[in-house]
Amino acid sequence: MFGIDFTKIPDLFLYDPNYPLLFGSSLFLFLFFALLVFYRIFAKSNNARILVLIIFSLYFYYMAGGVFLLLLIANAILNFYFGKGMGATKVEGKRRNYLLLALLFNLGLLVYFKYSNFFIQLVNDINLGQFELIDIILPIGISFYTFKSLSYILDIYLEAMEPTKSFRDYFLFVTFFPNILAGPIDRAAKFLPQINKSYSLTRKEIALGLMLIMMGLIKKIMIADYISLNFVDRVFDSPVRFTGVENLLAVYGYALQLYCDFSGYSDIAIGIALLLGFKLMENFNYPFKAKSISEFWRRWHISLSSWLLDYVFRPLQITLRNWRKAGNITALIITFVLVGFWHGASWAFLVWGLLHGIYMAIGMLVQGPKRKFYNKYNLTNSKILGGMQIFITFNLVAFSFIFFRANSFESALEVINQILFFFKPTVFIQFVEGFTPTFILLILGFLFHFLPSSLGDKVTDKLSKLNIFVQAIIFTVVIWVVTQVQSADLQPFIYFQF
Amino acid sequence: MISDRLKKIICDELYLDSSTIEINDETEATEVPGWDSLNHANIIVAIEKDYGVRFKGLEVLKCNNVGALQNLIDSKVSD
Repeated sequence: MFGIDFTKIPDLFLYDPNYPLLFGSSLFLFLFFALLVFYRIFAKSNNARILVLIIFSLYFYYMAGGVFLLLLIANAILNFYFGKGMGATKVEGKRRNYLLLALLFNLGLLVYFKYSNFFIQLVNDINLGQFELIDIILPIGISFYTFKSLSYILDIYLEAMEPTKSFRDYFLFVTFFPNILAGPIDRAAKFLPQINKSYSLTRKEIALGLMLIMMGLIKKIMIADYISLNFVDRVFDSPVRFTGVENLLAVYGYALQLYCDFSGYSDIAIGIALLLGFKLMENFNYPFKAKSISEFWRRWHISLSSWLLDYVFRPLQITLRNWRKAGNITALIITFVLVGFWHGASWAFLVWGLLHGIYMAIGMLVQGPKRKFYNKYNLTNSKILGGMQIFITFNLVAFSFIFFRANSFESALEVINQILFFFKPTVFIQFVEGFTPTFILLILGFLFHFLPSSLGDKVTDKLSKLNIFVQAIIFTVVIWVVTQVQSADLQPFIYFQF
Repeated sequence: MISDRLKKIICDELYLDSSTIEINDETEATEVPGWDSLNHANIIVAIEKDYGVRFKGLEVLKCNNVGALQNLIDSKVSD
């Protein structure tokens, strides 16, 4: 019947490393719809609703991470008790002991799974000894849920919040499926109070949730996956086979791809959470509109940059405050090297992070003279200057992404070399002819990015005024169109590897 | 209550005209023009210098608004 092989259905619910339950896959959309129906039925009973949500979250993580589900559960249990223990005492020494214990547990596991081989290789390379590399699989999402849990512990330590009394609530905070695999790295202080609010959605929230999921799928599948498979990957796989102009377009293309991939993921996560009655923190705010690198970091991966600002940069800066500018610079460089290192144990990520640390430091040093210069020539509100600042910031960011994306450090240098010494601008015409869809998507992608952000609000507003059935039809049509464009299999989200 | 002395230190450090700036107990750093994460340390150092006190790092990190900062200063000065 219907050509469905029912014997295969149980397989859909078993862990298969090659088939995580990706947002955007038809199985996920089907199960999420079923979850929403259950959720509606149990809307009046908070306990039943939260239980359904926890069970679904555990299933979702199991599909992505298999046996590492146990590690996630251990994380939730231990951090709940670390927080509880810390909150129960006013003695500074005891509080610090709980903090150290929590840091040891959380960072210990993160370092073991993520950085062991990097350090073993380092020890081998500088001839301190010879050790075999360990066969380790990275538990998916560990960088994200470790930071989520740590923010809870650190906020209690800094007396920014009280520990929650409810283990169930904390457990849901850690395992909540929309942001478990790749963020946003939400804060417990914002999330926990939302759990016991009764579930009701305004028309506007429903429309916004649907809008975010649709936009996320379009960004991810129609833009990011398409330009990466058809153009960006090819150039980065062998930069020397392409001219400088193509390399430059691939670098710009990668900036757009990474943005659409990761912000698309975040949009879907935030949209899904919203339909379940939870407001997650914003993760992207049109980052390429930034006029400086520090503004870029207030707009790009906001949940990570604000985490590092609060828990790494500020403590370092306050400790080093008597060094004045040198203290700020040291704190900046350390923070951004850690941003790079958070992404993965490789020199390329370190260089990427260091580059941003240097950008930030230079930005800080020239801030004063720059302000005086702009005031003197009355340039502060000039549109032309604003445009130039956006252009320069974007190019600095795109340049740093060469190291982020390139297959190796040498390959990154090849990309730069091609752009500088083998530019061949006339090849641009051939590019437009040969890669027409990619070219159109690049133009459209950047164009949409630079449209006024109020446009999205207007569309959401219009959508919210439509009948729910019309909304459902629009949603279905968008998903259908997106799946038609889908090039091959849905590509895993880039940030799943971090 | 935020003392005039504290307000003056903050405004001097940020090149603001203190007569046009409203700072009260509930004011957070981000609401004061120019008080960003980078020059936060400068303001703290200026306060320490002016009052001749020394804060612990953790004490400063726990301050979530200007009122908390004023309380911290008061607790140091009265010691």
